[in-house]
Amino acid sequence: MISPDALLHLLQLASSSLPVGAYSYSEGLETLVHEGRISTLTELADWLQQELRYGPIGVELTIMVRVHAAMETGDIEAIAHHNHWLSALRDTEEIREQNWQMGQTLSRLLQKLEPDLTQTLENVGLPCNFAIAFSIAAAQWQISPEAMALGYLQSWLTNLINAGIKLIPLGQTAGQTLLLQLYPDLKNTAAKAIGAAMATADQDSLFICNWGMALASMNHETLYSRLFRS
Amino acid sequence: MKSIKNRSASKSTAWQGELALEYASEQLAAQSGDRIQPGQSNKTSLVYRYAKAPLKVQRPFYPEGPSVCHSVIVHTAGGMVGGDRLHLSLTAQPHARALVTTTAASKAYGKTNAVAEQAVVIKVGQGACLEWLPQELILFDGARYRQHLRVDLDPDAVWLGWEITRLGRTLRGERFTQGEWRSHLEVWQQGRPLWIDPQGIGGGGAMMTSGHGLNSCPVIATLALVGRDVPPAVMAQVRACWDQCNLPRESKVDSYGRMVSQCIHPVASQAGVSRLQSGIVCRYRGNSTLQARRWFVAVWHLLRPIYLCRPVCLPRVWPDLHRPAAS
Repeated sequence: MISPDALLHLLQLASSSLPVGAYSYSEGLETLVHEGRISTLTELADWLQQELRYGPIGVELTIMVRVHAAMETGDIEAIAHHNHWLSALRDTEEIREQNWQMGQTLSRLLQKLEPDLTQTLENVGLPCNFAIAFSIAAAQWQISPEAMALGYLQSWLTNLINAGIKLIPLGQTAGQTLLLQLYPDLKNTAAKAIGAAMATADQDSLFICNWGMALASMNHETLYSRLFRS
Repeated sequence: MKSIKNRSASKSTAWQGELALEYASEQLAAQSGDRIQPGQSNKTSLVYRYAKAPLKVQRPFYPEGPSVCHSVIVHTAGGMVGGDRLHLSLTAQPHARALVTTTAASKAYGKTNAVAEQAVVIKVGQGACLEWLPQELILFDGARYRQHLRVDLDPDAVWLGWEITRLGRTLRGERFTQGEWRSHLEVWQQGRPLWIDPQGIGGGGAMMTSGHGLNSCPVIATLALVGRDVPPAVMAQVRACWDQCNLPRESKVDSYGRMVSQCIHPVASQAGVSRLQSGIVCRYRGNSTLQARRWFVAVWHLLRPIYLCRPVCLPRVWPDLHRPAAS
């Protein structure tokens, strides 16, 4: 059971009103809608389900759980390593820049909200990935790894659904229905990531399958007219 | 040589192949710290070589003069079965320049629970360049294959590599309905990861058919250059050359003179290009290993002048790429 304090802090961190600019990124959805590869609610649901099951988000979440644990033991060197590792995981410039931009913005905000974190955030090094700053904040605010993982995924998924319904376009109710429909997959992704983080320190055992997403993100860079930054 | 038929029957006959190659450049002292400059022509020699069956290496080859050493690796058993382990270690000492390829496509056979594994460890010294350009890997249905490739770059070092994989012998109608493919690639420079690419696919699953994964395409391929930034103008050329490679070759004309590309391949091949933290990555998801290789060679033509100040020199063991493309 999550404590009232942890719940309130998690809601704040995962809120779409957190001023990090998440709404300006579509992570390739804009290309897919433009190319006609996603044009219905079912196609959007399938894409997001695959993303949850095999996309980089699961690996990212595993790293977040490890960062959370490193915060408990004060192992800043490990957090800095995880940050470099996540930067290296990005195979497209837009996704890398997205995570750096949101991460830097959250890092600056956290230094204002929690001056105690300033040293830690500085030692993590630049540029800081969003997932890293998010897990540092979660650990600071006593949010458990499980709650952090669910909150992070819910916030990420809400943002992509919003991008999807704007692009296709679909109604708000369809978006909310889709969010509910994807909760079982979301919970599986969170549980799998926590399991992977606990099972072994070996990051070599993690893998993704994101060929379609990488191509969509790469080809977004040259899309003629763009609403989104990724 | 052990025959494939006998080997798959018994686990005890699995290969534990090894290959170690080390290249060195003459006149090291005179140029330490410098990047490769136009006109430099120090000889690169193969100074160390160790091979254990089934791996072998042909004698060093200098088709473009003494400064770039070409090596061709031979897998004498024809392919890998579950339980096989291959370990390759390629080292370029400071300022050495080496191109390493394979004599033919690699194969991983199916019908086994054991995993066939290949580990490749590449070290590139200061100012040196290593090109890792193996021919394609063909996974038979049911094959379980894992590759771990790690590249360590010293300052000013460059690595260019590609991996081309066909899942199932699709030319004879075979699909990759079971088995697994894993490819863990990482490139480090001075203790920092520049690129980590942990890819995996399970045979017969949603990853094979979904648009997010392979979109029912049997061929996936990746080319990467790490250690040099690519100027925006060349990035644009790399993107444009996919359209030039792609359009004529995927289409064929039937006896009535109609374009029938859609009939041959229900899903069109796709390509993408982006920047890495230091370098460039090209991804291909499509129908033809030859199409992927032709695009990669076209990209290599554009990139090699940037990192090696030299034009491309096609190894002679790639006969299909020496022929002009049919249009």
